[in-house]
Amino acid sequence: MNAPVQTAEAREIALAGMGASRLRKEDARFIQGKGNYVDDIKMPGMLHMDIVRAPVAHARIKKINKEAALAMPGVHAVLTADDLKPLKLHWMPTLAGDVAAVLADEKVHFQMQEVAIVIADDRYIAADAVEAVEVEYEELPVVIDPYDALKPDAPVLREDLAGKTSGAHGPREHHNHIFTWEAGDKAAADAAFANAPVKVSQHMYYPRVHPCPLETCGCVASFDPIKGDLTAYITSQAPHVVRTVVSMLSGIPESKVRIVSPDIGGGFGNKVGIYPGYVCAIVASIVLGRPVKWVEDRVENISTTAFARDYHMDGELAATPDGKIIGMRVNVVADHGAFDACADPTKFPAGLFHICSGSYDIPAAHCSVKGVYTNKAPGGVAYRCSFRVTEAVYLIERMVDVLAQKLGMDKATIREKNFIKKEQFPYTSAFGFEYDSGDYHMALKKVLDAVDYPALRAEQAAKRADPNSPTLMGIGLVTFTEVVGAGPSKMCDILGVGMFDSCEIRIHPTGSAIARMGTITQGQGHQTTYAQIIATELGIPSEVIQVEEGDTSTAPYGLGTYGSRSTPVAGAAIALAARKIHAKARKIAAHMLEVSENDLDWEVDRFKVKGDDSKFKTMADIAWQSYHQPPAGMEPGLEAVHYYDPPNFTYPFGIYLCVVDIDRATGETKVRRFYALDDCGTRINPMIIDGQIHGGLTEGFAVAMGQQMPFDAQGNLLGNTLMDYFLPTAVETPKWETDHTVTPSPHHPIGAKGVAESPHVGSIPTFTAAVVDAFAHVGVTHLDMPHTSFRVWKSLKEHNLAL
Amino acid sequence: MEVKLDKQYPLDVDAARAWALLSDLKATAACMPGAEITEQLSDTSYKGGVKVKVGPAVAQFGGTVDVLEKVDAERKVVMRGKGADKGGSSASMDLTATIVPDPANPAHCVLNGSAAVIVNGKFAQFGGRMMVQVSEMILGQFVDNFRQAAQALPGGTPDAAPAAAGAEVGAASAAAASAPVAAPPKVAGEINGLAIVWALIKSWFGGLFGKRA
Repeated sequence: MNAPVQTAEAREIALAGMGASRLRKEDARFIQGKGNYVDDIKMPGMLHMDIVRAPVAHARIKKINKEAALAMPGVHAVLTADDLKPLKLHWMPTLAGDVAAVLADEKVHFQMQEVAIVIADDRYIAADAVEAVEVEYEELPVVIDPYDALKPDAPVLREDLAGKTSGAHGPREHHNHIFTWEAGDKAAADAAFANAPVKVSQHMYYPRVHPCPLETCGCVASFDPIKGDLTAYITSQAPHVVRTVVSMLSGIPESKVRIVSPDIGGGFGNKVGIYPGYVCAIVASIVLGRPVKWVEDRVENISTTAFARDYHMDGELAATPDGKIIGMRVNVVADHGAFDACADPTKFPAGLFHICSGSYDIPAAHCSVKGVYTNKAPGGVAYRCSFRVTEAVYLIERMVDVLAQKLGMDKATIREKNFIKKEQFPYTSAFGFEYDSGDYHMALKKVLDAVDYPALRAEQAAKRADPNSPTLMGIGLVTFTEVVGAGPSKMCDILGVGMFDSCEIRIHPTGSAIARMGTITQGQGHQTTYAQIIATELGIPSEVIQVEEGDTSTAPYGLGTYGSRSTPVAGAAIALAARKIHAKARKIAAHMLEVSENDLDWEVDRFKVKGDDSKFKTMADIAWQSYHQPPAGMEPGLEAVHYYDPPNFTYPFGIYLCVVDIDRATGETKVRRFYALDDCGTRINPMIIDGQIHGGLTEGFAVAMGQQMPFDAQGNLLGNTLMDYFLPTAVETPKWETDHTVTPSPHHPIGAKGVAESPHVGSIPTFTAAVVDAFAHVGVTHLDMPHTSFRVWKSLKEHNLAL
Repeated sequence: MEVKLDKQYPLDVDAARAWALLSDLKATAACMPGAEITEQLSDTSYKGGVKVKVGPAVAQFGGTVDVLEKVDAERKVVMRGKGADKGGSSASMDLTATIVPDPANPAHCVLNGSAAVIVNGKFAQFGGRMMVQVSEMILGQFVDNFRQAAQALPGGTPDAAPAAAGAEVGAASAAAASAPVAAPPKVAGEINGLAIVWALIKSWFGGLFGKRA
């Protein structure tokens, strides 16, 4: 060999594997406007669909007159629930074991519910025809507040469930009650409270918000009447699940259904569910034998597709006088809207809300969540978080602050005192979660040192002492633990489908590779990071590894991307599929080098004979051999598939600190500093991690400072345009400072934990904590979000702090 | 979205003529900017429409008006209007209107109106924050038209004092005010959104300086 032998370090850098801040493969097409989104897809003969929606939130449909619409030139069909009835498609199952109306069947349950669809030559004709469909409604009393919904004389919202005393998650105690779900040990928690010297309680409302991805939902459905197969391009975070559901609903064999998720302009949980628009476009395509496109507008997206949160929470902590928490009790009333369409693992109708004991060693805890129907749109998805973890983290972090204020303790000190200690991992919480790894004390110290916490507290004390200070200063500190990577099939399934994920890797004869995945990127950068895992595992440069996702005809079955599950689950599948290839490659290398497998060492990108650096075979050498001259008796080729069922969740954590200055004259809240330390275990691409954290913090800022979906008493949603619904831009967004520690997950093949959602989950309570902390000296323990200037100004007035 | 309005409008018209107009639903409706009664369904039930124009956007509400109660002795009428437009909005209004004579001046009276307006759909979603102001503006225009229409009726009591119409005068009613008294009032054919916006801005500034003064 005459080629210059590069050092192992140089070869490792050339691979651009794990740990490299490799530039995103996706960006070249996105920044040039060359992405391929659902709305970019145009097919010959394609028709367009638009939806007739209800202006009222609760009403009986007396009559639908579609004559005028059908008479319009260019209109091909107008379909209502009555038209779908013979196909049994007027209702569909939800992910939560309930049913949802595809088109309103005799009754409207929420404002802007789908009542009829119009199929026309183009979008404009369809929109005009929508206005020509006459619907007569008989209005019914509207229920917006879940507490009102549970009153004995509340109107019956779901007449289709009349007489059903039990639902998918146990007994129903009221006609608007969906389930009551409990976790933990009630007796133990009650006992802890009975003897506790210190108790605190706090009610808090986590408002209904919407993930509001830049790209709205849509699909292009194309049924081929000759071949009898169906292709649908759908904005879906879980294309394989959609394929299974479409096949089950339509009766078309799964082998003849192809679901493609092309480029997706952000999901954040909004694109997990199956919406009536998808079903209707598919039905219309089957009925008309032509491709049908449906893409919703912004108002439709915010008003009708899956919302998040809407949790009314009551938390209680019991503690010793020196601040050690000894018990926790939580009661939640969860507003699920008109249909229970939450996207949660089936066994957990409140998701993983029982992570609400947080980063703390709490010996006794109990929580109870009551799901309720109201006249609002269905949903309840995880908005950039693992199932209901945002609500859980918000609750515990707020409660620890409330306890600290009651005891007059510093908010950092009380956390240090209650942290699960490094040596306690793996730690089993009172709710039964087995935390994999963490070092909370070290991470907290790093943050407090970085921001000079004592100096900040001193500055705050000085400002409080000065009656003429133009601003109030607040310091928010949050030390959160997430549970992600759903999930182990012994605990997690969705309607019986286990929550594994998958990877198929094929090494081509000349040493480049393709990997196909059951997940689907929506901005996470999978095409970049997955290749880096393979690069490190197999010694193939990430530049020559293609990653394909989202087409059910080519990708192995997987559950998709949400709940920070891609790296914890699919990332593990990649590593393990790669290791299968690695094992076969070792055999081939041994054959080629005429030594025993045990005499080989793996070094970065090659197997080499122990003690002789000149005798080696790279993966490219091995790949060629594997196809063309495999060892006798060995199957040719070099590829592997792995389906990964995780043994446990992963538990990323973070320490966030925020300093706000509140203008006492206007209530305007300025974020002076936001310091985010994240520990997501092994880091695959630090640049992408930073990007994920910036994005998550910005979305957390949006939720805490402005996002809400207010309803009036008639069920009108008063914030469904971007004029009202807050999406921060570079103008509003504060500067973010990021930091990290690395505590690998011991059970994950590469030690990675997932990161996309931590910044969202962790930052929201940090902003609230900072705003509340600014008022703490006048006895305020909690303020509900969003912390808009007007609401903060009202608090200033209320406590005589306004200038 | 629900708005409750309770308004008193002093009119320079005697109670008898005001009541004569108010008890004639079709004539009263004609005073509502943009409204018209198109069909009488029964003694107490009518079909009609209201057209609202804001810039290039036009909403046309079609619906029914039912007279629920009419008490001549009290000069009181209770009605309910309901309607929907094709663009995804619906509205309803319960209105109680009474004519109360002015004891000090037989040529004057007071129109008492109390209304609960409920708006659903796009109008509530987009226009909710303007509802109270817009409703008051529309009522202001209505009262102005009503006053002129009542004055045009024969048999008026001689005026004892110069007219002091209490209604806020909107821009759209300026033309009507200059019309000859005997002629039927020239009612705006539709609710003119720009005029409403202008009047709103004027009254907002008025309020701003009024408070500071």
